[in-house]
Amino acid sequence: MTTIRVLIADDQVMVRQGFTVLLNAEPGIEVVGQAVDGLDAVAKVAELAPDVVLMDVRMPVLGGIEATRRITSAPDARVKVLILTTFDLDEYVYEALRAGASGFLLKDASVEELARAVRVVAAGDALLAPNITKRLIVEFSRMTAAPRAPLKDRIGDLTERETEVLSLIAQGLSNAEIAQLLVVAEQTAKTHVSRILAKLGLRDRTQAAVFAYETGLVRPAGY
Amino acid sequence: MRWKPVGDKERVKATLRRAPRVLFEDLTAPADPLPDMGQPGWPVWRPVFGMLLVICATFLTVFYVNEMSPGDGGGIPKYGVLGFAQGAALVAVMFRPVSAWWASTVLMVVTARLSEPDMSRDQLFPWSVPGLALQCGALFLLALRVPPRRAAGALVITLVAGLSCTLFTTTPHNYVIYRSTPVLIAAVVLGASLRGLRVARTQLVVQEELTAGERARRTLLEERNRIARELHDVVAHHMSVISIQAQVAPHLVENPSDELRENLAGIRQNAVEALTELRHVLGVLRSEDALSQGVRHTPQPTLDRLDELVANVRAAGLTVATATTGAPRPLPPGVELSAFRIIQEALSNAMRHAPGAQVRVETAYGTTGLTVRITNTAPDGAPARSQSMGHGLLGMRERAAMLGGELAAGATPDGGYEVTAILPVSAPALAAESAEETP
Repeated sequence: MTTIRVLIADDQVMVRQGFTVLLNAEPGIEVVGQAVDGLDAVAKVAELAPDVVLMDVRMPVLGGIEATRRITSAPDARVKVLILTTFDLDEYVYEALRAGASGFLLKDASVEELARAVRVVAAGDALLAPNITKRLIVEFSRMTAAPRAPLKDRIGDLTERETEVLSLIAQGLSNAEIAQLLVVAEQTAKTHVSRILAKLGLRDRTQAAVFAYETGLVRPAGY
Repeated sequence: MRWKPVGDKERVKATLRRAPRVLFEDLTAPADPLPDMGQPGWPVWRPVFGMLLVICATFLTVFYVNEMSPGDGGGIPKYGVLGFAQGAALVAVMFRPVSAWWASTVLMVVTARLSEPDMSRDQLFPWSVPGLALQCGALFLLALRVPPRRAAGALVITLVAGLSCTLFTTTPHNYVIYRSTPVLIAAVVLGASLRGLRVARTQLVVQEELTAGERARRTLLEERNRIARELHDVVAHHMSVISIQAQVAPHLVENPSDELRENLAGIRQNAVEALTELRHVLGVLRSEDALSQGVRHTPQPTLDRLDELVANVRAAGLTVATATTGAPRPLPPGVELSAFRIIQEALSNAMRHAPGAQVRVETAYGTTGLTVRITNTAPDGAPARSQSMGHGLLGMRERAAMLGGELAAGATPDGGYEVTAILPVSAPALAAESAEETP
């Protein structure tokens, strides 16, 4: 099992040190660097090439969301961004997901939640905290009134099975759950997900879920 | 419950029983006070109206006495006294509308009764032209000051009084009751209309004052809301740091005891619960403008960012000088935030109202607190005064008051403007504050 390399970006030294201590104590996770603001985070990502960035939203010089946008829009960017915030504001979430973040976590999350979030985001085989993320994606899709036409066209590239898998991703199902539901091997489900991401040019399943809601493939239930 | 048919009859009876008292109250109750005819900056009009009224009354009285006196000049003293009293009653209506109008009506009847035997068949009765004018004047002035219903009652009484004069005449006269009725009605209608206009205008002014008061109150509440939001925001950030630190602490000691773990778990639990509540409070306080771009992606400011703020203002074309006295040290976040916002607001006021002026920002760290002073010289051109000035000032005052401090703002003798805020810092807070806090 390879070690997940983490970068922490927060303007408060207590938060950076705290998360560093907590995550370094977790097996398989190593904090490789700290950034004091968004600009620093962008530079450190280029320098250290971490697997996951824990990104605060409100930072001086450059905010976390803009930093996320810069980091994820870089060519061949493989790093996943996990937004950490004091407030679970829908607006933040909307912008963070749009900027390319893979997940969203409150700063007062327990160390178990934190470690799990880092692992899930790094592995990319499940949506982070389906309950929260789903609520956020609903908000996201509600705010974006018109489906983006070029995106919608690309849904035609998917096979029927892949479209089905995409809608399951959007409902917050992990690879294992999708495999169970479709009665296929987990490896097959994983292959489907990878193909979907590749065909749609999306970086992870969070973005795939956002895509599904945005294009109207999945309608938020109960709203 | 069903009403018996007799109920209606009872009600009519009760109404009839009440009628005399209502009528009596209507005709004796005091009138509206004299309207204040002097607006600020305008001459006071009341003496002018009084003078005009006296002149008209005098003219009418002379005319009236002349009209009543028989050709031979006999009875001049008697009619002179009655006529003068009638004229005086008209003037008195301006000051005591109800009683003076009653006096005028009684005098009219008395004069008619006394003069009737001397009058010829051709003379107008019960009132001559000037006599009618005096009655009209009294009714008009009364209608200006009492509600229309009461003015109408007075009109009816005047007509009944006039009619009663014609009942017991010794010789037939040239009766004018019917011909003069429209004139009296016109006087009352004109008076009542003018009164209606005045009342409407007064209500409008009252309404406007209420609206202005309402607006001021809303502005104040919005300001307080904003301040509360920022402070809760700061508290929430501190709380989340506590929740993280409580988790970190056990990792910092070797073999932490169960008691320590339990204790720290309790701290964390409390911090997380407090945060949940704070999020609710912030949800209530949060409004559209709170998340304006630029605010929501940056932490709540402290005085560390003063240089950044000043640089922005300089870039906007203002000459800003800064000075710091005393020993700069970290202050409680609430004080730093308030000081920053006060300086920010004062600078933005200077930009708005004193373009081209020279601005000076002074921060003085004292033993008991922080003093910030923002002064600007007179602007290059004419100062652009606007309504929004008060808005910012209100927020600055609230911030200073919240901390138990003071804020003074006002024009300087050289045409500039000065804002001074004294923000106290209690001694324990000074000692307890750690060196690096940027929420």
